[in-house]
Amino acid sequence: MAINRRGFLKVVSAIGASSLVGGQKKALAVEDFSGYPDRYGILTDLTLCIGRNCRKCEAACNKENKLPPPKVPLEDNSVFDSIRRTDAQNYTVVNRFPNPEPGGPPVYVKHQCRHCDEPACASACLVSAFRKTPEGPVVYNKKICIGCRYCMTACPFYVPAYEYDNPFSPGVRKCTMCYESRTSKGRVPACMEACPLQVMTFGKRSELIELARKKITDHPDRYINHIYGEHEVGGTSWLYISGVPFEKLGFPTDLGTKPYPELTRGFLSMISAVLVIGPVLLGGLYMSTRRRGEVDADEETIPEQEEDQP
Amino acid sequence: MTRKAIVGSLLAWGVLLFLVLANAGGEKDKPVLPSGPHVSCGDCHTCSTPTAEAPCLRRCPRFSRAIVAHSPEEGPSVVILDQLSDLYVPVIFPHKLHAEMAGMAEGCAACHHHSPAGHIPPCRECHGGPSNPENLSQPSLKGAYHRQCMNCHREWSHDTECSVCHARRTAEARIPEITDTTDIMGLLHPNIEEPDKRIYQTDYNGGTVVTFHHKEHIHLFGLGCVDCHHEESCERCHTTEERPVRVKTIEEHHKPCSSCHDMDRCGDCHAKEETAGFTHARTGWPLSRHHQSLDCRACHPARRKIGKLDRDCDACHSDWTTDTFKHAVTGLILDEMHGEMDCADCHVGRKFDQKPSCANCHDDGREYPESSPGKKG
Repeated sequence: MAINRRGFLKVVSAIGASSLVGGQKKALAVEDFSGYPDRYGILTDLTLCIGRNCRKCEAACNKENKLPPPKVPLEDNSVFDSIRRTDAQNYTVVNRFPNPEPGGPPVYVKHQCRHCDEPACASACLVSAFRKTPEGPVVYNKKICIGCRYCMTACPFYVPAYEYDNPFSPGVRKCTMCYESRTSKGRVPACMEACPLQVMTFGKRSELIELARKKITDHPDRYINHIYGEHEVGGTSWLYISGVPFEKLGFPTDLGTKPYPELTRGFLSMISAVLVIGPVLLGGLYMSTRRRGEVDADEETIPEQEEDQP
Repeated sequence: MTRKAIVGSLLAWGVLLFLVLANAGGEKDKPVLPSGPHVSCGDCHTCSTPTAEAPCLRRCPRFSRAIVAHSPEEGPSVVILDQLSDLYVPVIFPHKLHAEMAGMAEGCAACHHHSPAGHIPPCRECHGGPSNPENLSQPSLKGAYHRQCMNCHREWSHDTECSVCHARRTAEARIPEITDTTDIMGLLHPNIEEPDKRIYQTDYNGGTVVTFHHKEHIHLFGLGCVDCHHEESCERCHTTEERPVRVKTIEEHHKPCSSCHDMDRCGDCHAKEETAGFTHARTGWPLSRHHQSLDCRACHPARRKIGKLDRDCDACHSDWTTDTFKHAVTGLILDEMHGEMDCADCHVGRKFDQKPSCANCHDDGREYPESSPGKKG
């Protein structure tokens, strides 16, 4: 079958268009995913946390996850003098922020994995070691982790931490919302159970948002009108309400409401198309130009033969 | 009227009477229903048509905030919160004191929110046990207690120390005496953990260090808090701000001690370094077996400064006679003959701490303990 140039270009453009349309459709389908409907979450009411002399959540987390004893004793209030980050030995930390209102009590913020609805860590992971469970927690599988630490770079809340002091089998460590031991069995997370003031409420995320709205509506003097995590990075399972604007409490407020995976989704969905179309297109172009060369060469040689014949 | 009619009417009356009585009895067992213009069906029932089989009652109906107008005296004086006391001993909650303070703000409703008319439920009636998954806005009993307390305590005393309300449950920790709640600062107050000792640095040349054994004064000398802390202000403990240092006169400085101790022996308190606690041997009279177990006030008269006592045994033990004193407690059971003799026959001049003498009766030169007036018991 002779392939003429017009025919080839027709075929190539048809393949390209169909793969582009296909890719777009797929991407749209993911965007439509609004999370597992019955996923759980935790609502943290920052107006209740007493922080100082307490840190019962940190103690409970340490015990539940069998972490080494904390370097600074849990009774030592000097930890509040600086802002701490989660690390491989502390899956949750409570930080103190001054109250912007003069004379107001300091605000204590419990920080841990937010269990995003569309987690950036899971999307950045090359081997899918992170997984968003239908119950809500984002969990990690150490067995398949290759230790690239892309998750740590991807996380907008700087949560995943690497076991740098474990030379033989280091892994990434973060809060799992006590998935293995508790939440998958219908029990509440250890930190929540230990909290004397029940700062955290565990329940269906949808119901928690309702509860948070009601609290804000009933006590507009007590809360600012913002549920942190309702929309941030496409929504998180761990929600916060506060009496002080979140930007004053170390919360990143410039993350936008788009899920992080979406930022790369458009580009990544094109890769398959490029991989398919690229070789075919370039190969086809090469073949067609080569054939033209052959034809030209033929045309050039024929008159010579004609000259020779007579 | 026929006999049949009479029996019939009697029977009818009987049935009627029974019905009336049965109804009256039924009335008594019925729960007291909230009434008044503010109560609607939806306050108690979750569905629109409740039936006897499916009353769809709310677990804890949330009535509008009750206007509870009781005086602090009407409520309980002290409430012992012991529902969650596994780690700590029960909390003594001075209800009356808090009721008085609440009177300055919202009154009873400051804590007793959502109370139905005519009934003020204790916290545990609604906030029972762990958190209620059916009603996420209702905290658990632990959460409810702590939120209620911390809401004010954070703001007023800036103190979130557990020991403000809780005493840790340890093997030797005493369950606080519930009967006397007035002996803490002379006020109703949750139990305070007393310090073991305090060490003061002074500018007295003869000895700069004064060690005050606080626990000893309470448990050994039997002092109550108010015996020393009688002019305390709440602010002394309940403030985070530095209090201005007031210059005190020498007399004022020494007043807490001088009410019991003589001020002319500076060296008793002022030393070069920290001193050990009190032992009776320091007074020059180490206590013997029987004296050791006594309270100080068993020998030193009550309501008087503890001072030197007459060391003569008879000064305290003048009541010992042959009939009242059981000699066996000394470890020597007297035989029949000696048991009937007067104390002073052997213990010459009733000096019980000295060697008894046999010479009053026996002139053969025998001596105790070689020859014994009884047997060892």
